[in-house]
Amino acid sequence: MPGRIITITSGKGGVGKTTATANIGVALARRGQRVACVDADIGLRNLDVVMGLENRIVYDLVDVVEGRARLRQALIKDKRLPELQLLPAAQTREKSAVNEKQMIKLCDDLRREFDFVLIDSPAGIELGFKNSIAPADEVLIIVTPEVSSVRDADRVIGLTEASEKSSPKLIINRLRPAMVRRGEMMDTADVLEVLAIELIGIVPEDETIITSTNKGQPVALEDRSVAGAAFTHIAQRLLGEEVPFQVFDESDGLMERLARLFRRNQ
Amino acid sequence: MSIVSFKGTREGLAITFGEGAWHDVLNELATQLNRPSAQSFFQGARVLLETGERALDVAQIEELIALLAQHRMTLTAISGEAHTRAAFEQVRATMPAPPESLAEETREASAPNAFGKHALLVQRTVRSGQNIKYAGTILVIGDVNPGAQVVAEGDVIVWGKLRGVVHAGAAGDDNAMVGALILAPTQLRIGKQIARAPDDKRARQFPEVARVRDGRIIVEPWIAS
Repeated sequence: MPGRIITITSGKGGVGKTTATANIGVALARRGQRVACVDADIGLRNLDVVMGLENRIVYDLVDVVEGRARLRQALIKDKRLPELQLLPAAQTREKSAVNEKQMIKLCDDLRREFDFVLIDSPAGIELGFKNSIAPADEVLIIVTPEVSSVRDADRVIGLTEASEKSSPKLIINRLRPAMVRRGEMMDTADVLEVLAIELIGIVPEDETIITSTNKGQPVALEDRSVAGAAFTHIAQRLLGEEVPFQVFDESDGLMERLARLFRRNQ
Repeated sequence: MSIVSFKGTREGLAITFGEGAWHDVLNELATQLNRPSAQSFFQGARVLLETGERALDVAQIEELIALLAQHRMTLTAISGEAHTRAAFEQVRATMPAPPESLAEETREASAPNAFGKHALLVQRTVRSGQNIKYAGTILVIGDVNPGAQVVAEGDVIVWGKLRGVVHAGAAGDDNAMVGALILAPTQLRIGKQIARAPDDKRARQFPEVARVRDGRIIVEPWIAS
């Protein structure tokens, strides 16, 4: 059976597309799926860094498209999970180095070898975004609970729907339950009310993401991380498992709880 | 029955597609439109398309619009199978109506508040960056999100939350109205009047309607009157 091509996009930059791609890829691979992560952010590649595979790059996506390398040569095997492979972006080229047709052909070749092809889309709604969407069977939209991010997500959902893709699914990233409780952050319902598409995951803000990204060690590799668990749940839902949405116990950090206890005793 | 037939109506030129391969239909249409005798007759016409059971996708409709555009004709409506209508709806949302067709409609502008006369039905969420223009009344069953724009020469009715920019009576008709289940537009224009959302007030959770009275936009609860 040919693999599923899933594009991860957001419109707005810096909301966690690359981190989500890496972690969903890891989570799927840990469940025995053969996964190819494709970095479509040509000129600003990051996915290799987040996956900790930067130093293994010999050929890239543009080399494959332009016939300088075969797909097999450009794919980098993950150092931890044999089922996971990365097709890195070119760093010295620009988005215009590939077109939609070439992306479709490339992903069709990949889906013969893999169960999942995850495309990490660049920010924006221009050429790079269009190239990333063109081959997709499914689209995941990442949004953070901020008005500007929601606005951009809405725009991207509109564009995705207009390109005759099935309705995209939503990942709410970097939710901070404590701020939501204090009424300082949009909650899940606020976001869904505007975007009105199916939710596939809620990922809480997690500081370990920053260290893991710097180290090139996706959090989904570990079982302890809350964000890692959330990405694993997304992978499970993609595989058709019914996983209830976690209600984050809305607990603040230990220090905040102590501080509250302290205030109460005053 | 021929594969493509024409009929002049009050609303515009009605074109009916019979059975046959899409390719043949398009060829036949091109041939008909290219006949010297047809040239002047069809120029600038508004086209109402009857597609019957035929299912057209977005690409096909765009092809058709491009062909018609060569003859300065605009496709204003499709009646037929549900998928076809949905596809047309989608095409229309992404391509704003050419300004000339809007202007043309203005000239024969229907009576104020053309409710029920020419109405465009939009059954989906209108999202940021999407722009719906129509030379008549627009009825949206769904939300109009912030960043979206709805511009009608007649009224605008939203069966849902209206949070984008809305302009009713866009050809200068101050008698047009805007109604919504939740009326919270970023900006609301009727005819030549402009009002913006108050900077602090939260939207009221009941249907409201906006009209122009004494040169000002007034918002009031939408109750049977």
